[in-house]
Amino acid sequence: MDLNVPFDLAAGWLQENLLLPVMYRLDLMQWEDVSLGWALFAVYGLAQVAVMYAICLPLEKWRPVENWPDKRAVAVDVVYTLIARVGLLPLLTFVVFYQLQVWLSGWMTDHGWVPPTLERLIPGLLGHQLLTFFLYVVILDFFDYWRHRLSHVFNWWYALHALHHAQRQMTFWSDDRNHLLDEVISFVWFMAIGLAIGISPLQFPLIVLLLRLLESLSHANTRVSFGWLGERLLISPRFHRAHHGVTAAGLRSVNYGAILPWWDMLFRTADFTREFVRTGDPTAEEVFASGGYMAQQWAGMRRLVRSVARTPRTTSRAAPAAPFRAGTPD
Amino acid sequence: MRVMNLWLAGVLVGLTLSCAAWGKGAVLVVNSAGASLSVVDMDTQKELRRIPVLREPHHLMLTPDGRELLVGDTAGNEMLFLDPATFELKRRMTLADPYQLGFSPDGRLLVVTGLARAQVDVYDARSMQLVKRFPLASMPSHLDFSPDSSAVYVSLQGTGKLAALDLRRLAVLWTAAVGKAPAGVMWQNGRVLVANMGEDNVAVVDPTDGRVERRIRTGKGAHQLFRSPDGKIIWVNNRVEGSTVSLDAATLAVGHTYRVPGGPDDIVFAPDGKLWITERFAQKVAVLDPTTGTMTEIDVGRSPHGIYMNASAQAR
Repeated sequence: MDLNVPFDLAAGWLQENLLLPVMYRLDLMQWEDVSLGWALFAVYGLAQVAVMYAICLPLEKWRPVENWPDKRAVAVDVVYTLIARVGLLPLLTFVVFYQLQVWLSGWMTDHGWVPPTLERLIPGLLGHQLLTFFLYVVILDFFDYWRHRLSHVFNWWYALHALHHAQRQMTFWSDDRNHLLDEVISFVWFMAIGLAIGISPLQFPLIVLLLRLLESLSHANTRVSFGWLGERLLISPRFHRAHHGVTAAGLRSVNYGAILPWWDMLFRTADFTREFVRTGDPTAEEVFASGGYMAQQWAGMRRLVRSVARTPRTTSRAAPAAPFRAGTPD
Repeated sequence: MRVMNLWLAGVLVGLTLSCAAWGKGAVLVVNSAGASLSVVDMDTQKELRRIPVLREPHHLMLTPDGRELLVGDTAGNEMLFLDPATFELKRRMTLADPYQLGFSPDGRLLVVTGLARAQVDVYDARSMQLVKRFPLASMPSHLDFSPDSSAVYVSLQGTGKLAALDLRRLAVLWTAAVGKAPAGVMWQNGRVLVANMGEDNVAVVDPTDGRVERRIRTGKGAHQLFRSPDGKIIWVNNRVEGSTVSLDAATLAVGHTYRVPGGPDDIVFAPDGKLWITERFAQKVAVLDPTTGTMTEIDVGRSPHGIYMNASAQAR
């Protein structure tokens, strides 16, 4: 049985019973084809959140790294997740990426260039969606490694990215805790790569769901590692936690990868030695850690303006992080 | 004798099995959001296989000589040429954003709308060379020709207009407002019918100047128009209302309304009188018997759109 079917039917139901009547009333029916794509991504986004919750929460209860009496700081991460996975990301994908991809590839076709796709490069891939997607994932993950690493290199970029690192109560909800402008930069980055390699967002929603689950898991507040070999194949909560360590925040860090640790290993930024370290960014304002959604967004903009106005790099460079045991001072 | 009996039995079993496997005919369904084509056995009403394509196919059209079936892959920027008898892929052609396509009645030209790129391309049907590109704002979607092949009428979904293109001078004759989000277009008895998806009606348009003479209420989200094989009925699919409505082709009087959920889109007509209708949001094809109003459904791929039937095709 095709595992996509229940999600596709749910998206179809959403389209038929909610989106179409609303678009009809608002005179937006010319977009009805695009809205189905949005519905698909919104449904898969909701499913991501549900699956993430069902898998990560028991792990966090089972073997938590830290216990916090007050979890208010986690609540804002839930808001970030819902905006990113059900609202903003699907909308950007379909309103911007789709239109741009059609325009650019059509323009290239007109000028006698065949728009690039992996399947055209390797015709044997056509019809092998799983293998094709795996190759797309490897390419995208490679470029995501460099996007993430560069966000720790440029002062202005880290001014935004610091919001992601400021969370002292890091949980599986923290993956989408990003400044909106940082999200837009990431989106443009991925869009450029996606256009260059011809990835199709509609073909692989179920697999995207699984990948996002891995990224959420890597942020989970749980003492889980994948063992010596497993951690060299897929990024584990232990491996990624080292990247979020208090002493690794800032312009120089380790373990930048999102899904595959291979790029950290290749470019010598991997650190498999660190245990479950305390997370957060001591250089960030308190509002980054404990403020509400809008306060954090505003604080991020202020920090960005300050960093652009100030020429020399002032953010602290990271020293090697000391091993951390929950409940002990770091 | 014993060997002969065995041979005869073998032949009979073989014939039975091959009939079951090849069926009475086949239907090709274009799964626009699934990047695939579904081959459906008409007899068993089961999907037999899926043919992968590059990105986002929508519509298809048989060549005037019946020898090739063209499928446009919009985001893949490809035209696929299939054998209409077996649905085997024969060749591909790189081509920008082929959404809806149609051959002029004289078979000389192929007109292709590029909905996302706001263009209408006119090709020489034989050589497939681009003859003329019309940039048309915005979202050119469906089309039909005048019977003498002198003009093609294209709905502009984004601007609520219908464009008339002179295919002899290769110039725009006129554009005229016809309703909200116009989609399906059909030449009928010297008039152009346009289904207005943002409204609940089919506009009857004067082909000389684009003036709307009257409107026929069919249902919310009127989307596509199809003429029955005997030419007596025009079927209209209403996307928002979830219905299929019959119009008398001579008078355009509304006949029956049938409930077809799941965003009904394209239709093909089976020899037994049933309508095969793609349901975009239900991942299914509905098989509607208009004599009884009963309907069955067949599972296909994601967002089924274009549909083609070959009752004598070798379905496998």
